[in-house]
Amino acid sequence: MTDFDLIRKNLFRKPLRTILLTVSIFMAFLIFGMLTSLNVALNQATESGSSAERLIVSNKINFTQPMPIAYVNRIAAIPGVTGVTHSSWFGAYYQDQRKSRFVGFAVDPETYMDLYANDVRLTDAERKSFIAERTGVIVGKALADQYGWKVGQTVPISSNIYVKADGRRSWDMKISGIFTGAKPTDSTTALYFHYDYINETTTFGRDQIGNVAVRTASPDLNDRVAKAIDATFANSPAETSTVDEKTFARAFLKQAGDLNFIVSMVVAAAFAAILMIVSTTLVSAMRERTKEIGVMKTLGFSSPRVLRMVLGEALMLSTLGAVLGLGVSAIVLKGLAKSPAGTQFGDLSLPPLVAVVGLLLALTLGLLTGAIPAVSALRMSIVDALNRR
Amino acid sequence: MGLMSQTRSVIAMNVRSIPQRLWMSLATVVSIALVVAVLLGFLSLANGFNQTLKGSGAADVAIVLREGSEAELNSTLSRDQVDLLAQGPGVRAGPDGRPMVSPELMLVVDGIKKSSRTKANMPLRGIGPNGLLVRKQAKIREGRMFSPGSNEIVVGAGLLREFEGFEMGKTVRFGAQTWRVVGVFEAPGTVFESELWADAPVVQSLFNRGTSFQTARVVLTSPAAMPAFVAYAKTEPRLQLKAQSEQAYFAAQAERSGLLIKYFGWPLGIMMAIGALAGALNTMYASVSNRAAEIATLRVIGFSGFSAFMGTMVEALVLSALGALLGVAICAVGFNGLSASTLGAGFTQVAFRIQIGPEIIGQAVTLALVIGLVGGIFPGWRAARQKPLLALAA
Repeated sequence: MTDFDLIRKNLFRKPLRTILLTVSIFMAFLIFGMLTSLNVALNQATESGSSAERLIVSNKINFTQPMPIAYVNRIAAIPGVTGVTHSSWFGAYYQDQRKSRFVGFAVDPETYMDLYANDVRLTDAERKSFIAERTGVIVGKALADQYGWKVGQTVPISSNIYVKADGRRSWDMKISGIFTGAKPTDSTTALYFHYDYINETTTFGRDQIGNVAVRTASPDLNDRVAKAIDATFANSPAETSTVDEKTFARAFLKQAGDLNFIVSMVVAAAFAAILMIVSTTLVSAMRERTKEIGVMKTLGFSSPRVLRMVLGEALMLSTLGAVLGLGVSAIVLKGLAKSPAGTQFGDLSLPPLVAVVGLLLALTLGLLTGAIPAVSALRMSIVDALNRR
Repeated sequence: MGLMSQTRSVIAMNVRSIPQRLWMSLATVVSIALVVAVLLGFLSLANGFNQTLKGSGAADVAIVLREGSEAELNSTLSRDQVDLLAQGPGVRAGPDGRPMVSPELMLVVDGIKKSSRTKANMPLRGIGPNGLLVRKQAKIREGRMFSPGSNEIVVGAGLLREFEGFEMGKTVRFGAQTWRVVGVFEAPGTVFESELWADAPVVQSLFNRGTSFQTARVVLTSPAAMPAFVAYAKTEPRLQLKAQSEQAYFAAQAERSGLLIKYFGWPLGIMMAIGALAGALNTMYASVSNRAAEIATLRVIGFSGFSAFMGTMVEALVLSALGALLGVAICAVGFNGLSASTLGAGFTQVAFRIQIGPEIIGQAVTLALVIGLVGGIFPGWRAARQKPLLALAA
């Protein structure tokens, strides 16, 4: 019988106790796996399509405040700028404002598809027809699937912001193409249409735009270009604030609240609980076995070997719970990724890094919970051990 | 000895023996406390936010938006429409004898949130002389109201807690304009506390809004006057606006914020509860096996199986009740009253205080007691069915 067999036999001598401990550890790792992965996915979904290479120019007061469309050409003339496009939030919805809201932007098609060629993937034919068709709209694949929209179909897209002269708030748009993202898992629940189409028919906000996206010759120029843009419009009625896209996206996510903080608090609470449960149970389990340890030592098991066996038992227990917990997290996340709510998160899966961190946590947990019983087993003299009841 | 007194003495014996299993019992108590603290943390976060929204709405104040607008931000009203609204049925007259109507503008400006040190959306509201009148809860706490026609702002106490740079006397810049903070107002437990207020005509001119407003708040003679006023706003051809009671407007927003608890708080609480339950079961099984000889002796001298069951059951419930108590205490001391803020339905930050309440304490304590109940039943069953002679022979 190897030491490993002994450890295994010891661990399952009271199967119910071991199963219950495994359930405790499993739950903690399930919470860890799910929450951390959701947090990672949320961060990625916010940043997906945003790159540190593009700059976003918005009104300095707040990104919901408009800027004159004339800014686009003035920004294009700034040295170091190689591409400029603009987009305006439309507050888009389809039929029911409460139930079918989605991301919709009025854009300049040609320049937009140039700057975001990688994030908004279309066939050449679709691209050409979108540019040519004034009432054209391109729809993300997920959105098109949701409403069963096909290329060539005309759909009424409403705005909770803009109004037409006749008081109506919906614009008929012809679907020119259905786009996919850079990765298959990228969220494609958005649509883009011609700014000009909206601008010539809206009753207000004419010749105003929301944000400008800027591509520079090299990321090294970003800081200088951003400063130059903001300086150009300083002391004008619409001053600007220019940051890279990633910074912009991160600041927006943080508006919801400190998610990282909440996630770490919950995970810490879950682990504090199992740390106590497992270590106290192991101490009491080891106490039951004091006599046996005395016998083992009498038979010539060295103290370090006894220590290794006790630690091994704790490590086996925590690894078992962790592997189960992380495994089930991965399965649940995969299931969630297919649900309607899950698609909002984009790439929903257990990232390898989370799995590695989880296993390291299991190792730490095993060592911590095994430490007290292991040391007491190490120190125990044969006489004391055999004397105990 | 009757069944009751038997049971009583076994329970006493069980509870008194808890210190013998001090560490495992303590681990059970603390793990249950952590379950309660996490669940209650989420519940009180949502509770605080909801209470703030609900506290903001009055039943006799109508909020008027453009038809089809869900939020103040994307609504528009003209000066003429505001005048027509003032002539509507059931509008209350103010101290000066004129209708209590407050036409307002709502803009989003950037502020730096203290907690994250990043930019976040703050509401800047342009109000007129009736702005304070239509909000009974609001009053100037420090300094004074802005003077009409000037670049002065007053700051809500909640916003002051959550954002930096808006203290009394400070100068703030929105784009190219500078404003001076001349007062702090409070409106405890309402969303208004998260706002900046300035003179409506100044906001109109500095933000190129012409003479248009976004919303109007109208005080009616009583909540009963609401339906008639709502109908007037909708059917009058020159209006065609959506009026609703402020109370209903904010209640709808609160409804949507319940998702956080539904999708995060409860699932997490239950997952942690299962983990803690496994710990509790272990502790109680250990208790039963520790006292095997004792239980057997009692059975031999005529104690019933029921009393053995109850002894274990009550021990488990005592541990879970202690855990619940500790968990509620952690929440009450650690979280209750803390200031937090999040992006509200109006696309701006809403500052609120985390708030524990009897109803949510009840929910969290119930979860703890369920852990105790389930954690006691199975070990109790084992205690009751233990073969007395077998246990004594061991």
